[in-house]
Amino acid sequence: MITPRGPWRRAGRHGLLGLACFVLLFPVLWALSGSFKRPDDLFAADPLPSPVSLDNYQVAIEQFPLPRLLLNTLITAAGVTAGDLVIATLAAYALVRLRFRGSAALLATIVVALLIPAQTLIIPQFLLVARLHWLDSYPGLIMPQLGGCALAVLLLRQNIRAIPDELFAAAQLDGANSLRTLWHVVLPLLWPALGAVAILQFITTWNEYLWPMLAAPTPQHTTIQMGLTLFTNTEGSNPGPLLAAAMLATLPVVAVYLVAARRITAAFLHSGLR
Amino acid sequence: MTNRFARRRSGALGYLTPLLVVLAVWVYGPLVFTVVLSVLDWDGSGTPTFAGMDNFAELFARPEFPAALLHTVVLVACVLPFATVVPMSLAIMLWKQPGRASSVYRALLFLPVVLAPVATALAWQFVLNPLGGVLDETLGLLGLGPVDWLGDPATALPTIAVITAEKVIGLNVLLYGAALDGIDRQSLAAASLDGATEWQTTRHVVVPQLWPITGLLVGLCVVLAGQWAFTNVAVLTQGAPNGTTDNVYYRLYTYGFTFFDNGLASAAAVVLIVLLGLPLAIRALLRRRAGTVVS
Repeated sequence: MITPRGPWRRAGRHGLLGLACFVLLFPVLWALSGSFKRPDDLFAADPLPSPVSLDNYQVAIEQFPLPRLLLNTLITAAGVTAGDLVIATLAAYALVRLRFRGSAALLATIVVALLIPAQTLIIPQFLLVARLHWLDSYPGLIMPQLGGCALAVLLLRQNIRAIPDELFAAAQLDGANSLRTLWHVVLPLLWPALGAVAILQFITTWNEYLWPMLAAPTPQHTTIQMGLTLFTNTEGSNPGPLLAAAMLATLPVVAVYLVAARRITAAFLHSGLR
Repeated sequence: MTNRFARRRSGALGYLTPLLVVLAVWVYGPLVFTVVLSVLDWDGSGTPTFAGMDNFAELFARPEFPAALLHTVVLVACVLPFATVVPMSLAIMLWKQPGRASSVYRALLFLPVVLAPVATALAWQFVLNPLGGVLDETLGLLGLGPVDWLGDPATALPTIAVITAEKVIGLNVLLYGAALDGIDRQSLAAASLDGATEWQTTRHVVVPQLWPITGLLVGLCVVLAGQWAFTNVAVLTQGAPNGTTDNVYYRLYTYGFTFFDNGLASAAAVVLIVLLGLPLAIRALLRRRAGTVVS
């Protein structure tokens, strides 16, 4: 039964949800618009830049090795994502399908690894990477970040658990060993989840700030987030180009996200977190 | 499990080795090493000497470390509503109105979570600028301000908390959404048959079923809020003004990589781990005891 208050209530909900989205996204939208304003209009009240100017972007690209920074970030994020997916898929499969002693303890170990603050581990990690002569290098950026694969293990574990037992029984009847079962039964069904986890991991690594700041302090070798902070130090008094660089540092990720938004939100919605 | 033995010989170790190596080398090894470093006096290259509890004594003799601990607690308290009440309300509104619009709202609310933290911090700095920033200009039209949001000791920490909250809301809306998906629909039908209004149903049937996930999200917020705020503090204030936005996580980093004092930083890390780990350990212990009573 529809009460007369129904439509009003529905409009109220839309109003509140729209307001929440607006408040959350306003700073970034305002900065995006500001990055296209002329330096003189930077603090003008117009919501949209008029005239549109690319001056800030030109200065940002001239002052800083942005293509190099973006490439470094891309390689780092791709490396961490690929490594994490392999490690996490193998581990999640073993956790769900193979019985072994101490599996409960291992699961607890993984969850705790997720909760240990990164800041408490950076000194030993830094000393190790320095000793390996990995500072300012891709291995130094990528390897330690593989330690963050715990979330991927948990998400993939949920998804493998959802695969019906009958499929595994059939594979067993066919005489498939565990590796063949993983390859022919699990992986084909796991692609959507793997895609979501990969995108999430890629975005997380792209956005990572603390570790690149320590492991790759030089502009030529670091990632875009650290590059932005270096830019803040040299161009702090010149906010226009800084905003332009900030937008370049985050827009690729937004593009990736928008393509797969529904898949990512679905991965969390069906994460079995109840 | 009937074929337990068949499965045991299936070579699980082979699948787990990469994970175990990565966790040992980059998580648990460093964790143990941090504890060792906290009782040493060592700059990373010379010969280490045993320092006993000296690092811990120095840590609490410095005024800024207890202050940073206190500010971390205030930060968590400020972020907490944005990790619970706000996303819970939004998630319930989305849940009541399933369909295309709600998945668009959900995607938009999640967008701040994926935006680069350094970029969002700089965007906020632009908006909050006391000299011509759009927020103070707007407040000026109402005859208020200007407020130096990040420079005034009274407003700096709440401002950092709000900037941090932006990322927490979107994620928790999704996690509440997952919990709402699992709600027993029969209890809702029963409530409306009893003549409960929509508000009463929400308040007395839906919300109580969200307590377990709320407990989890409160715990996550306590453990993670300081880490979420790290980038904002590092980019926007570096702990200023007067150390009001400093927190334990930023202090740790400062001791290690600005002062290059490994012992002091590791002692701070150990204190933090103990403070965070204690509630977990107590809970595990209580649960085990409860388990023995039941069985």
